[in-house]
Amino acid sequence: MAAFVSAGYDVIIKPNICTDYHTPEYATTTNPTVVGTLVTMCLEAGAKRVRVMDYPFGGTATSAYATSGIGDAVEAAGGEMHVMIPAKYTWVDIPEGRDITKVKIYPDTLEADLLINVPIAKDHGATRLTLGAKNLMGVILDRDMMHMNLSQRIADLTSLVRPPLTVIDAVRILTANGPTGGDLADVKQMDTVIASRDVVAADAYATTLFGLTGSDIGYITASADMGLGTMDLSSIDIQEITLG
Amino acid sequence: MSWRSWRRVRQAVQIAFFVFYIILIFSVVQRRVAPPLADIFFRLDPYSALGAMLASRQWIAKFALALVTVGVTLIIGRVWCGWICPLGSLLEWVSFKKARKRAASISPQWRLAKYFLLATSLALALFGGLTLLVFDPIAIFTRTLTTAILPGLFYAVNSVETALYQVSFLSPALDGFEGLVRGVVIPVEQPAFTQNLAIATLFFGLIALNLLAHRFWCRYLCPLGALLGLLSKFSLFRPVIGTSCTQCTRCAVVCKPGAIDTDPEDFHIMPAECTVCLDCMANCKPGDIRFRYRLKPAQTEEFDISRRQALGALASGAVGVLLLGTDLRLRQDNPWQIRPPGVNEEDTFLSTCIRCSQCMKICPTTALQPALTQAGLEGLWTPLVVPRVGYCDYGCTACGQVCPSGAIPLLTLEKKRSMVIGKASIDRNRCLPWASGMQCIVCEEMCPTPQKAIRLEEAEVIDSSGQASTVKRPSVLRDLCIGCGICEHYCPLEGDAAIRVYDA
Repeated sequence: MAAFVSAGYDVIIKPNICTDYHTPEYATTTNPTVVGTLVTMCLEAGAKRVRVMDYPFGGTATSAYATSGIGDAVEAAGGEMHVMIPAKYTWVDIPEGRDITKVKIYPDTLEADLLINVPIAKDHGATRLTLGAKNLMGVILDRDMMHMNLSQRIADLTSLVRPPLTVIDAVRILTANGPTGGDLADVKQMDTVIASRDVVAADAYATTLFGLTGSDIGYITASADMGLGTMDLSSIDIQEITLG
Repeated sequence: MSWRSWRRVRQAVQIAFFVFYIILIFSVVQRRVAPPLADIFFRLDPYSALGAMLASRQWIAKFALALVTVGVTLIIGRVWCGWICPLGSLLEWVSFKKARKRAASISPQWRLAKYFLLATSLALALFGGLTLLVFDPIAIFTRTLTTAILPGLFYAVNSVETALYQVSFLSPALDGFEGLVRGVVIPVEQPAFTQNLAIATLFFGLIALNLLAHRFWCRYLCPLGALLGLLSKFSLFRPVIGTSCTQCTRCAVVCKPGAIDTDPEDFHIMPAECTVCLDCMANCKPGDIRFRYRLKPAQTEEFDISRRQALGALASGAVGVLLLGTDLRLRQDNPWQIRPPGVNEEDTFLSTCIRCSQCMKICPTTALQPALTQAGLEGLWTPLVVPRVGYCDYGCTACGQVCPSGAIPLLTLEKKRSMVIGKASIDRNRCLPWASGMQCIVCEEMCPTPQKAIRLEEAEVIDSSGQASTVKRPSVLRDLCIGCGICEHYCPLEGDAAIRVYDA
């Protein structure tokens, strides 16, 4: 973490806390231990403040923070759960955007010294899988419009946000009926966490856990096409670290 | 302790109850979990309690607390009105100088109105209708705060913040303020309610009536006050003017509800109109107004409801039920009459719901909206799920937690998730993948049931640019759909959604 965090850094962690429906074992929201551990690591590396936030579509932020277990984990680790403030969203241009050229976004996520993108790897009807780039949709308000051309618009958004670090939680993955889940039979224990500076590479690697490749996912190919990262897993250095 | 000190005690109690009421209001704004005392004011309210029990023909245990209010009233009079009722307190505090003079020209006969309203609403309840409970004072205040005042307040805060966030050096201070209030005092989602204007007009109209007389509502209109007034005629201790009275009328001048009859032949305090505010005692020169023990009921007043008028009220209630029950709803169901989870029988619901609006206040998505005529006139201001405004949150059981009468049952989360409140249905003529060959399927993504109630099928289509492409088209699996409405809520189509939930 010292490679990412310098003393006094203001860090934002963006997990996937999409609903207030289920507890962590249902693999619909990011694993609280993963988020809590990241908070601890940032603070140990000298961060002055670590805020954790998402804007759920099912239920409110406060209720989703509670149900997901992330609220407790973050507070225990010394971080802050932040409820995103409606008045703060601002229009920002997307200079490299191919389909959308501006978006109303939560400015803190662009202004923070470090944004850590912490999705959970899970099934998703429209895009097949929701991973790192898809997780960035949590920082904008009008998500309806994204669905008109979801893959390209996710790539456009990724070109704006460019998370310096993506940590994909694949401790448990949701293999069907996502992104909302609710059936333990769809949950698979993988005990894997994927970290990369390159969100496209992290996403491409995560697809293999589902027996897919990066080219199966529209927003991964669109993001790679825009030069936001590489989906060619043979060209990158993948270190597998096995912990007891 | 002197009467003056006692009066101060009363004012302090009044403020304490008012503040408590407001705290409770804020404690249940768009929450998933209600604090235990959230509905305490309604549970203490014998008018709503009696109405709901009469109409639903059952003992409602939660309303047992209303017996406390009845008991206190039978001992010492309308303490509720002068010490506890938050609307009463507000109406006491909003006072106009000229009101006393104007009140003198209003015939005391008008006090009958509240007894007639009480009798009619109880008669209506006896025949199964609770529509007139919309005039319960706690319900009026709560409904107005819920649908009009709080949304306006939150909107104001958001607007001011939006403006101030443009000034960058203010951001840290605003962030700090937000960190304290957002999700605690101010809900995450901006609430919005239909009919807020009508509801606010009723409320501010009642306040404006104070221009004509102090506590106009309490004197002439309040059905709860009327019920407690009738009980006060039998209370054991009543403020009584003693024999050293000089008829100086100072007591009558200070009496906010105008409960002192200054007829020189029969100078007396009318217990049914007295709110036990102690002002007369504190202002009596000879100091001879005191609580005196009485077993005999208080004397009748000219405006007391007569037997004939009571029969008239009973008849009005019967006619009212017949008319309300035979509007178009009798033959034609409203397809969008979606009730909160756990409500099964519409008739049972209408005869148990006390129109208090607590459910609308706590609903975290503001899905619950006050009905106008969607459920017939009889269902005025009862809660309806309006999915385009808000969906029924799959993780939430809040409405059942705050319902004082049990019209919305208290359900475990597991049970609530199995409650079918409606069925979604897709309009293929408008749905983007079906009608325009465009990618969308937001509805499927949002569907919260563990096995999705919306199925996708791939289809080859020619899109609007003439290109062949593959789209996923949604269709509803009716057996799995619970009608939560999140699909309708998030459907990206302009105006009405292409997927809508219908009453099932």
